[in-house]
Amino acid sequence: MDALRLLTPEITITIFAFAIISLDIAWNDENKSRRILPWLAFAGGLATLLMIFYIWPHVDQYNYTAATDAGREVPMLAVDRMSLFFKMIAVLTVILVGLSAGEYVEKHTPFRGEFYGLMLLAGLSIMLLVSSTNLIMIYLALEFLSITSYILTGFLRRDARSIEAALKYFLYGALASGVMLYGFSLLYGATGSVDLATIAGSLETTQAGLVVAAVILMLAGFGFKIALVPFHQWSPDAYEGAPTPITAFLSVGPKAAGLAVLIRVMVVALPAFDVNWTPILSLVAIFTMSVGNLVALWQTNMKRMLAYSSIAQAGYMLVGLAAWSAAPPSAVAYLGGVDAIMLFLLAYMFTNLGVFAIAIILENQMGTSEIADYAGLIRRSPYLSVALLIFFLSLVGIPPTSGFIGKLFVFGAAVNQGLYVLALFGVFNSVISVAYYFGVLRNVFFEKGSDESPIRVGVAMNTVVTITVVMTLLIALYGQPFIQLAADSAQILAANF
Amino acid sequence: MLQEFEFVGVLSAITLTIPIVTLLIAWALRPKKPNPAKQTTYESGMETIGDAWVQFKAQYYIYAIIYVVFDVEAIFLFPFAVALRQLPLYALVWAVVFIVLLVDGLLYGWRKGALRWN
Repeated sequence: MDALRLLTPEITITIFAFAIISLDIAWNDENKSRRILPWLAFAGGLATLLMIFYIWPHVDQYNYTAATDAGREVPMLAVDRMSLFFKMIAVLTVILVGLSAGEYVEKHTPFRGEFYGLMLLAGLSIMLLVSSTNLIMIYLALEFLSITSYILTGFLRRDARSIEAALKYFLYGALASGVMLYGFSLLYGATGSVDLATIAGSLETTQAGLVVAAVILMLAGFGFKIALVPFHQWSPDAYEGAPTPITAFLSVGPKAAGLAVLIRVMVVALPAFDVNWTPILSLVAIFTMSVGNLVALWQTNMKRMLAYSSIAQAGYMLVGLAAWSAAPPSAVAYLGGVDAIMLFLLAYMFTNLGVFAIAIILENQMGTSEIADYAGLIRRSPYLSVALLIFFLSLVGIPPTSGFIGKLFVFGAAVNQGLYVLALFGVFNSVISVAYYFGVLRNVFFEKGSDESPIRVGVAMNTVVTITVVMTLLIALYGQPFIQLAADSAQILAANF
Repeated sequence: MLQEFEFVGVLSAITLTIPIVTLLIAWALRPKKPNPAKQTTYESGMETIGDAWVQFKAQYYIYAIIYVVFDVEAIFLFPFAVALRQLPLYALVWAVVFIVLLVDGLLYGWRKGALRWN
């Protein structure tokens, strides 16, 4: 396939994003914008998703050996199964968040065109980031994602907390980008190239210390996006202050993007290089899981609690990468662990967006997201309460839900590579997480609330909750296609196999 | 590769040394006779008024951002214009797409009233 056709998803989403922003200013008509723009954003997401499915069967024909920039249809970008999988995650996130944002946007801001346009552009930036195979492209896409995220976080510009969140996010982000760029410059200095595959080729001749330093500095940039400990401090404040739909987006989109680029750098550029990454990755994973879960125990605000919970979930995902890095060097083509991360991410996306959809519904109705206000939800909306139960079971990782399958594969990959301590930490952390998830559920099912009026759920919201509930159960009960999808997706172009 | 950077290191050392040495020489040789007129910010200029830490009108920044749109456009279009004769029609289409995207940004700013001074 030629370059233009391989990039149809990106082109589609760009056209829709600009169409939304342009139509909004061209109409200059409140009613028209309110009626049409959300659906245009939805249509844009669906069209992009279709384009990804259209390309999917065609990207299998690549020769996976040493595909450097020179011989590729699209320089600087790799359109491979892995990037397509992450693009699918990005677009699904945009669609689900866009659907659940409708009522919230109407309530809080007159700037619909900008909101939906920037959402699609944030999706575009993730799509570019997950296929970057070049340090410069990685940096540009990461900044693109960061800037759109900052604006969306500070979208409620009359709300002091939203502005504060955006400012904190921006300051941490600027620092993390700087540190990451320093890492890039060291890597470039050591190898003389910005192309990942070429870097992989020339790493054998360079000093170990320099590359280890470069990778740790780069980890700061990627870790900031994924919210790994110790680069996580921005996330609770940003999550709490941001408009709730944007919080939902931040908890999945940038995390997936950061993870994808971390996987790509690790798998493509570094295996030729004889350093044992497992201890570093394991340590970060253990700290991320433990800090996330332990601090989540003390939260009284739903959005803050979910922020720490999503930090912990990112820790579980990193276990998969640690497991990959622990595989013996003779089996370089082995991508076990990476497919586990993908499966986990798929499960996490549906589950977490579902929880946030419920948080948005309740915030629209009650105006707060304090956990105490969730009391007596079972009498106000049995459907939402049961949905919340299913989502939390999934986040803990209890069997009839997708979270269980995800954790099974991630921890299974760790055990396969003999990382028993890491797997044990993961299981311990899952047990700790029961406490705070079920604290919310105790409020929902057994406490008596002051307000007994039923919760009203719109059509779009109902759709989102239903889709996420069904997917959360489906991935567990009929998992074979999804496991197969994750396994198929663990194919990385430009890796030196 | 890393050895090539030794050259950069040597150059940096030299560039740092020269100004420091010149400043030190000037400091050692010059006469030191300060008086109030000499100590003012602009010795033979206007008297300064007020504090330098004042609030600027935010609109200056918006103008600056819109200016950057054209700046970036110029930077990208110059090399394109120079190579135009050797490029296929395809490249011209992409240049037009690029300009359309930028114009869209300008129209957005215009429509939102960023060009109106008040």
